[in-house]
Amino acid sequence: MRKLFTLFSLLVIASFVLVACGGTAAPATTANTDSGTSSSTDSGSSSSAEYHSADPTTFVEATIGDIDTLDPALAYDTASATVIFNVYETLVFYDGESTDKFVPQLAESWELSDDGTVYTFHIRPGVTFHEGGELTASDVAYSYQRGILQGSYSSPQWMLAEPFFGVGNDDISIIVDGGASADDRAAMQAADPAALVAACEQIKAAIVADDAAGTVTMTLAQPWGPFLPTIANAWGSIMDQEWVVANGGWDGSCDTWQNFYAMTAAEDPFTGIANGTGAFKLERWTPGEEIVLARNENYWREPAKLERVVIQGIDEWGTRFAMLQAGDADVAVVNRQDAPQVDPLAGEWCTWNLDTESYECEAVGDGPLRVRVGRPGLTQDVILFTFDIATAGNPYVGSGALDGNGVPADFFADVNIRKGFAYAFDYQTLIDEVFLGEAVQPVSLPLPGMPGYDANAPHYTFDLAAAEAAFKAADLDHDGIPAGDDPEGDVWTTGFRVQMLYNLGNTSRQNVAEIMAANLAVVNPNFRVEVLGLPWPSYLTAQRASQIPVMTGGWLEDIHDPHNWYQPYTTGTYGNRQRLPEALVEQFREYLNAGVAETDPAARHQIYLDFNQAYYENVPGVPIVNATGHGFSQRWVQGQVLNAIFPGNYYYTIYKD
Amino acid sequence: MLTYIIRRLLLVPVLLFGVTVLIFGMLQFLSPAERAALYVRDIPRNEKMVDGIIKIYGLDQPIHIQYWRWLTGTVNETTGERTGGILYGDFGYSRTASQPVADLIRQKFPNTLDLTIWAAAPVILVGIWLGVQAAVKHNSLVDQLARVFSIVGTSLPTFVFGLMALMIFYVGLDWFAPGRIADVSSRVIHSPEFQRFTGLLTFDALLNGRFDIFFDALRHMVLPILTLSYISWATFLRVTRASMLETLRQEYVVTARAKGLPEKTVINKHARPNAMIPVITLAGFQVVGLLGGVVITETVFNYPGIGQAAANAAQQLDVITVLGFALFNGFILIAANLVVDVLYAMIDPRVRLS
Repeated sequence: MRKLFTLFSLLVIASFVLVACGGTAAPATTANTDSGTSSSTDSGSSSSAEYHSADPTTFVEATIGDIDTLDPALAYDTASATVIFNVYETLVFYDGESTDKFVPQLAESWELSDDGTVYTFHIRPGVTFHEGGELTASDVAYSYQRGILQGSYSSPQWMLAEPFFGVGNDDISIIVDGGASADDRAAMQAADPAALVAACEQIKAAIVADDAAGTVTMTLAQPWGPFLPTIANAWGSIMDQEWVVANGGWDGSCDTWQNFYAMTAAEDPFTGIANGTGAFKLERWTPGEEIVLARNENYWREPAKLERVVIQGIDEWGTRFAMLQAGDADVAVVNRQDAPQVDPLAGEWCTWNLDTESYECEAVGDGPLRVRVGRPGLTQDVILFTFDIATAGNPYVGSGALDGNGVPADFFADVNIRKGFAYAFDYQTLIDEVFLGEAVQPVSLPLPGMPGYDANAPHYTFDLAAAEAAFKAADLDHDGIPAGDDPEGDVWTTGFRVQMLYNLGNTSRQNVAEIMAANLAVVNPNFRVEVLGLPWPSYLTAQRASQIPVMTGGWLEDIHDPHNWYQPYTTGTYGNRQRLPEALVEQFREYLNAGVAETDPAARHQIYLDFNQAYYENVPGVPIVNATGHGFSQRWVQGQVLNAIFPGNYYYTIYKD
Repeated sequence: MLTYIIRRLLLVPVLLFGVTVLIFGMLQFLSPAERAALYVRDIPRNEKMVDGIIKIYGLDQPIHIQYWRWLTGTVNETTGERTGGILYGDFGYSRTASQPVADLIRQKFPNTLDLTIWAAAPVILVGIWLGVQAAVKHNSLVDQLARVFSIVGTSLPTFVFGLMALMIFYVGLDWFAPGRIADVSSRVIHSPEFQRFTGLLTFDALLNGRFDIFFDALRHMVLPILTLSYISWATFLRVTRASMLETLRQEYVVTARAKGLPEKTVINKHARPNAMIPVITLAGFQVVGLLGGVVITETVFNYPGIGQAAANAAQQLDVITVLGFALFNGFILIAANLVVDVLYAMIDPRVRLS
């Protein structure tokens, strides 16, 4: 026994030494989405001979959390979408790494009418579902009809409803009763039966299948530029109508669809089962543990190289790290703050080249991992100003008046105040200190490669002199005299006190507010910004009530298209909460509608360039940072298609040495 | 004794009601919108989403209606189907585990029970043995070592010990792995040939005659058991040692020695049974603790038991799941307490006779 104790004590001491050798953690920022789920085609670089997987047939992914549902019409999180887009398929698919070029998938080809409103898809013959059913044009039409009729704002259906019903008509309830029964099935079931049937028939008339000809015709309410990107993602998946009906889904009748409206994952019979046409079949989903996919041997193309895929949900970082070290995980989710701990295991270092838009890899030793860094992500943070702050009972505006001890409700309605804030922010410090250099400053809302993106677009820089000039040009007491020259005093002489909020736990948003506060105090000691963290529920509630004067917001795109960026920041989620003035919203809405309706790429590009200019001049918000990826995989993993818009890994092309 | 047990049994529903009302009540400090926000992981993709969640889950209903709904479920007027209602055996739907709570408990509890069964013997018996040794060899080197061990065991956080065990035995030596079972075995147990008799993986493996699966399952339990044992031994050692030392000083032990009985007999026959009384209480609580799921150990070793699932639900404020686990744990606690009481009565005549 004594010997045992001695041995054990030695082990404990040894392991302390081991642990002490680990790297130090950087401040927490965003979760890394570039880990194996990363982007750009795998260089297929020299995987040296000694890096061989013990089991090349099975791909193991160690990830965080679990999926919500396997119903493609309802799933709206990347974890669910990852499984769905490997099991189900869409009419069109992304061309390799391209986010805006599409290749045929379940549609062999398609045509668009001259007026840009009618798409005709020719459905690929000879494709079978995993459970044996044959793909028909009717299945395609039914899948779209079912999704749109199932509706619900918790689902992605709002993106599919708009092209068919017109801008702003983003749920079937709007067609039935102007949106009165939105997300309320009981109300929907009690709605006028004639209106229910009419709404259903309207969508059935817009999406028509011709099984004899093998075509599906989709008639849009208006030309819709980003239609293909919208239907290429997981929510455009095609299901087998007979199978859905047999398993308790909607029977396709216009008399019953309301019973399936606003379905939740809990009631949805397709949350736990799947039957697609994809390269992988769902073998098993054990919630909270793992999802196992098996190769579809009857795939309409050549079967995948991998036999199985195991996606394990492992929330504890230490355990994921151990699996990565032991070689038991081929890819693992590594949060940004944990990356420095893993970097020493790199044997291959791949850096994203912004000019060639690809990774350039080099060997850096004999470590077992491949590291990819430097690729801008699909999410960026934006500082947002509330134009008409709700001051009643609002604890975040101090006195609520321009007396040096608060801010009035219309504080940010003055464009010069917004510009002052934009110039007072130190973008580079945020990138260097908080993101450890792994980020870029965005120049516009659209991301690189999108219509409307221009690397030389006008954007705000850190310039304290310009900030001072802007604040001096403000006129908050509305006497027509700029604050810098106002003898009666204005914001420049009285100063202000305002709270900048972030959601507790989001360190990078906290740091944004701190950097802003520090620099405004340099511009004028009377400019006081107090940084305050709120628990998520309170933060979201205050945000929806337009009580937060200034905050940092973020957006992760659904589709790689400027419409998906401008809509939330002008007329959608954020624009509403910022209470943008109606005239400004109208100006933005014209751009938005023109941009979405334009199908000519060059003309679209120009519309969004003008949109950028308007957003820059009016400064409802300032894009501040776009974190770049930092992901890890084993060096024996080959063939990854690293498309930025993929929700996760696309296993069809992956193989292991 | 019997009336005492019956009285305690009658208290069960009252206690459970109290627990659920307490959890439900605390939640009402949040507004409907704040509670809806718990369903949203990040900025809502669509501004109408939060209102929709309030409608779908009835979060704007008064607390007594929501509580009643949880108890009895809701009946769809058009179809006449009842959904939910714990009185009907439906504990609701777990948002974090994407399945009904009852299914979640059914899925995870066997794993926890399996771990408890295999961990109980080393945890309790070795712990007691260590304590007895330390007491009998009072102030010897063994005793001093045991004290150091006890202090370290009490003060070293579970997750630190667990992660160190992972680094040494999994990453370094590759002897034991995290998780429940290897992927190869996983394919076997999910195949139709493998019958699930008990739901407990180790026993099912034996009943199917698959010793490879049995040993693989055990191999994955070694590190959790080691961690649990190490943390528990410290406590057992302390309690047993103190109780034993006190007993050894009692006059009847002195008398036994004076009669010239061998030391072994004195310790095993006279001293130890009496010293065990507080230890049994402790053992009861330890086993209940294990059955309720061991959050940190299960999380570190990615062991899919009830502790890991409950912690996950609590972290994401999945109230329905937390309530389900609270009820379930309540039952376990009460049942385990009864067992401990009966054991007490068997060991200590004073309990029987009072």
